[in-house]
Amino acid sequence: MKDTIIKLDNVWKTYQMGEVKVNALRGLDLEIKKGEFVAIMGPSGSGKSTAVNMVGALDIPSKGKVYLEKHDISKLSESDLAQIRGKKIGFIFQQFNLINTLSALENVALPMVFQGIERDERLEIGKKLLERVGLQERIYHKPTELSGGEQQRVAIARSLANDPEVVLADEPTGNLDSKTGEVVIKFLENLNKDGKTIIVVTHDANVAKHAHRIEFLKDGKIVKRTKGGTQ
Amino acid sequence: MNLELIKYAFLNVKKRKLRSGLTILSILIGVTAIYALISFGVGLQNYVNVIAEQAGIDKLFIQSRGIGAPGTDENFRILRDDIDFVEKINGIQEISGIYFKTVEVKKNRQLKFVFGSGIDPSKIDFVEEAFTVGVEKGRQLKKGDFDKVVLGHNYQLEDKIFKKSVALGEKIEINDEVFEVIGFYEKIGNPQDDSNVFFTYDTFESLFPDDKDQFGFVMVKANRNVDPSLLAERITDKLRKHKGQEEGKEDFFVQTFEDALQTFNNIILILSGILVLIALVSLIVASVNTMNTMYTAVVERTKEIGIMKAVGARNRDILSIFVIESGILGAIGGLIGVILGFLISSTGGKIAAQAGFSFLQPSFPIWLTIGSILFAFFVGAASGSLPAYRASKLKPVDALRYE
Repeated sequence: MKDTIIKLDNVWKTYQMGEVKVNALRGLDLEIKKGEFVAIMGPSGSGKSTAVNMVGALDIPSKGKVYLEKHDISKLSESDLAQIRGKKIGFIFQQFNLINTLSALENVALPMVFQGIERDERLEIGKKLLERVGLQERIYHKPTELSGGEQQRVAIARSLANDPEVVLADEPTGNLDSKTGEVVIKFLENLNKDGKTIIVVTHDANVAKHAHRIEFLKDGKIVKRTKGGTQ
Repeated sequence: MNLELIKYAFLNVKKRKLRSGLTILSILIGVTAIYALISFGVGLQNYVNVIAEQAGIDKLFIQSRGIGAPGTDENFRILRDDIDFVEKINGIQEISGIYFKTVEVKKNRQLKFVFGSGIDPSKIDFVEEAFTVGVEKGRQLKKGDFDKVVLGHNYQLEDKIFKKSVALGEKIEINDEVFEVIGFYEKIGNPQDDSNVFFTYDTFESLFPDDKDQFGFVMVKANRNVDPSLLAERITDKLRKHKGQEEGKEDFFVQTFEDALQTFNNIILILSGILVLIALVSLIVASVNTMNTMYTAVVERTKEIGIMKAVGARNRDILSIFVIESGILGAIGGLIGVILGFLISSTGGKIAAQAGFSFLQPSFPIWLTIGSILFAFFVGAASGSLPAYRASKLKPVDALRYE
């Protein structure tokens, strides 16, 4: 039996929209084990983004508990959450979310800056990671000088900067053509084979089928759970 | 402090050149003004200190309590009798009264009104020591020098007092009497002092017979080992009794050279303080401008802040980035401001020197230069701290969603 790495226990998230309260999550239960490849699917408005925020420790629930490696993180301060995120979770976003003023290498090294890793070590690790995603020739390029696929590969390299346990990808192929999307998914699969826990949030069944397990989200909770297509 | 954060802050300053440039401009205006003003203030104080060193702090003045410049109020005079009385007081090494009166100098039908001083030729060395000036050309006044005059430095220059310069040995008319010019004094550094004319007692008394034995002011040198301040008190006390005046209602006052310079120093300090305060207003405006720039930067970079927080930036990291960024704006403004201030002050000093105000020279001590840049850095950093705090408090979820 593998250890649980992330567990959401009856998680509610309520937003105040003017006078109205909106429940984005309504008692979400989710358990992800180390080394798993999990896809979370759902139509828009199903609470996917809010679920990503909870799983990625970007936000805390209004009610319920979030555990990361058995530690309850649902009551932590913003700065403590930042430290945990930086160390334990790597993010890949649909919009790539690279910083345009920094080079590819600096973008990849950025998460290590906040963990206090020395400059030489940061650059060495950064170069290795960019090599791993096949961008060794482009390390000093700015994001605006890179194609969408290349930018997403930089983002993948960045997500691995602090060697996190979990890589959380939010619609990672949403802004890419299908061929480039496949390359990105291949990377994620390889990472999973190397032992990383991968969580992909998507509405694309072609992406989800690569996962071990697919969780279907609707109205803020899991309504269906299936095995992934390739397993 | 992480070097990477400083580099990132620099990149952002560089990226938004126009906005950074305008913010820096607003800061540098204030710094330029402050740097230039203080450099002149310091220069003036240095000048005063040099005079103090040269003249020595063992000197005192007795002056009549009147209106206007020392010795110019003709209603109050120190009399020969007063001087003779004071001379006997313990602790005095030397004493000499100086006549002081406006005179009319004429050359080639050009007429000028200047100050004329009557000096005791037997005490000429003492007077020159107290005035911190020596003869530059020709010779000092000596006993028996009747119808002879020593002129201030500026008479030697063309287009200064007269169209043509005055030469040694030349005859010049003062109050319709003809005098031979036997010497010129060194430059003192202000046009009024450099246009004075000096005669012996005898000459002065023949020009102004009604003013005989009534002096504009009196110079005293204290004995060694005598405290000039205590001596000043003693003279005040005894002279008051001698003149039969009430305490606080004397028609004279005694001031040590040190006190006089201190008063002058205080005036410089207050004046430059007021000017610097005015300059500070422009720096306050600059600080508001910087704050505005930084608020805009925070809004513009909301998404970046979200990204950095997602990859592990703590609130204090974000805070540092923006505070450093505004501090950099301030420091660059400070640096350019110091350079401009230096150029303006140096030029101003040269112009003042040409106009005869050679004492009005700026001074650029290293503390002023480093202090100005540091001050500008802190003003920048402080102005950026509120926007930076706001940035640091952004929730990563909201910031990431911002487009």
